[in-house]
Amino acid sequence: MFNDHGHLNRRRFLGGFAFTSGAIATGVGSWVLRPEWANAAAAPIKVGIATDLTGPIAYAGNADANVAKMVIKEINDSGGLLGRPLELFIEDTASNESVAVGNVRKLIQRDKVDLVLGGITSSMRNAIKDPIVARGKTLYIYPQLYEGKECTPYLFCTGPTPAQQCDEFIPWLIKNGGKKFALPSANYVWPHTLNVYARKVIEANGGEVVFEEYYPLDQVDFSSTVNRIISNKVDVVFNTVIPPGVGPFFKQLYEAGFLKGGGRLACVYYDENTLNINQANEIEGLASCLDYFKTLTKDDPVSAKIQAAYEKDYPGNFLFAAGSAATGTYRGLKLWAEAVKEANSVEREAVAAALDHAKIAEGPGGPAEMVPGKRHCKMKMYTAVAKGGNYEIVGRSDGLVDPKEC
Amino acid sequence: MASAFAAAFEILSFGAIIVLVVLGLGIIASMMGIFNFAQGEFVLLGAYITYLAHSRGLPVWAGMAAAPFLVGALGFVLEALIIRRFYAAPIVAMLGTYALGLIIRESVRGLIGGLYLSVPEPIGGSIDLGSVHVSAWRFVIVVITLLVMVGCYLLLSRTSFGLRIRATLENPALARASGISTASMYGTTFAFGAALAGLAGALLVPVFSLFADLGIRFLIQGFVAVMVGGVGSFIGPVAGAAVIGTLSAALPWVMAPVVADILVFVLAIVFIKFRPQGLMSGKGV
Repeated sequence: MFNDHGHLNRRRFLGGFAFTSGAIATGVGSWVLRPEWANAAAAPIKVGIATDLTGPIAYAGNADANVAKMVIKEINDSGGLLGRPLELFIEDTASNESVAVGNVRKLIQRDKVDLVLGGITSSMRNAIKDPIVARGKTLYIYPQLYEGKECTPYLFCTGPTPAQQCDEFIPWLIKNGGKKFALPSANYVWPHTLNVYARKVIEANGGEVVFEEYYPLDQVDFSSTVNRIISNKVDVVFNTVIPPGVGPFFKQLYEAGFLKGGGRLACVYYDENTLNINQANEIEGLASCLDYFKTLTKDDPVSAKIQAAYEKDYPGNFLFAAGSAATGTYRGLKLWAEAVKEANSVEREAVAAALDHAKIAEGPGGPAEMVPGKRHCKMKMYTAVAKGGNYEIVGRSDGLVDPKEC
Repeated sequence: MASAFAAAFEILSFGAIIVLVVLGLGIIASMMGIFNFAQGEFVLLGAYITYLAHSRGLPVWAGMAAAPFLVGALGFVLEALIIRRFYAAPIVAMLGTYALGLIIRESVRGLIGGLYLSVPEPIGGSIDLGSVHVSAWRFVIVVITLLVMVGCYLLLSRTSFGLRIRATLENPALARASGISTASMYGTTFAFGAALAGLAGALLVPVFSLFADLGIRFLIQGFVAVMVGGVGSFIGPVAGAAVIGTLSAALPWVMAPVVADILVFVLAIVFIKFRPQGLMSGKGV
């Protein structure tokens, strides 16, 4: 009887062991998308995506993963790159740096990807860049708008920088709002660094910063801030408070009569996702400056085509929006594809050399090109104002705006 | 003068919000001896039910009215199915409620796609008193909080139901000997605490918008309030919540907000060190 029992246990153990080792081998939360013609003679080129599929900014991460699936499928459908199909590996960074580093290592050591694209927050980029470019000897593309100053070799940034978001936007705000600025901010690296640049541009254009203040990331009551804004007769609130605080903050400003008194809200990460945090009348006239707004689809056929393709494949909550790095992901993958074609190889040095000056003629919001030697991307920038729950474009850059980095 | 009045109102209204959140937490902690880590998620569920009603085209106030009953019913079921098994082991109960909270929170996150969603207030806009603008909805919250506070106090101190609850807390064996079903008392108390959380969530969601971490945001402050106020009575946690809420809203007026955030907790720890029994010690209402 004992023997029998032991046998059963051993069999169960072996079964469990097989299941567990299977799970360890493929990993929980790993996604592999094989091209349909994977039986082609040449081995597929491997593209790794590391983004926040779970956690507080999962809405952005999932949108980025969807964009990657869309772009990779499009490239595969038109014959792949260098005659080889592309295979997509998606890993979750889970808004948790230590989980992320482990999963990024999987991409590099187990899957041996030729490129990693991803990371949304700056802390995530800083956590995973070393495992990718230094120890991993792999190319890394970071797709999100950010505070600038990232000049690591083999790390390419395809989202807007402070110069791109401020140089044309702040003069517009001074003209269409006023000279007295308040800079209420969340207490982390992006607002701190962006504010240094914004303050320079504000002062260079004859404006003044009445106050600059930093808040804990989870602060949700802003009564003292609102009071200072009203009593100092601030014209423009250049906001870098992030969710969850930003909703209550804008509401309190509205209730205190800031908009009624002619005040202007400005927030450079505001896109279609964040529009829903407040009711439309609470943020009427809010101005944002990004590389893409959905309303551009009305007069830009290329943007319309990309937007329609995305919505057809991925209807639902995860929007194709600039503030969640979806446009940077699109641009990054397309620029990389151009670089691979030019280099005629997926070898890191050759692709990096070609990516250094890669260009695409068609992208969301317009063409884009890398600035040689800078590893940042020139792109068109748009100023938009919230009106009745939608954006209206009020300003366009004349050409491609320089990122002014590195 | 005008700005001093505005400041006083804003501080009062945030204090009221914290009191509202802590009411249910305090009742469960004091009357049952269980620290319910899922309380924040009951708040979240109240908010979610209100959002759901709004998104289905129902009036917002209908969702707000339904939220306490639905969340209370859920609390009753959870108590009977899960919490009841852990009364003998309070630490395990704490972990159990934490797990419950995690399940509820991540389910709601999935349902709302991890986004931040606005819910309009049934009474919007602001009340203008000369140059001072006071948020109408925050004013309503202050009034409702006062009413609920008084209602809870009367329920616990003046009704036979309240008497039976307090009897069950102080001496369960004697209560059972006197013919009180302690099991159903615990079930009702837990459901009542959950219903209060549901109400809090429903009233808060227009102010803070709906997001998955809405509940957890107030949970830490809530527990600190319970510690400062003192466990064992109804009044204690409420007083603690008033102190913590007022401090967290008032300190940013006089110092850097980042410092104020930490200082509230430092003050609370120092206070508990010198008065471990809390503001209000002893049993009673």
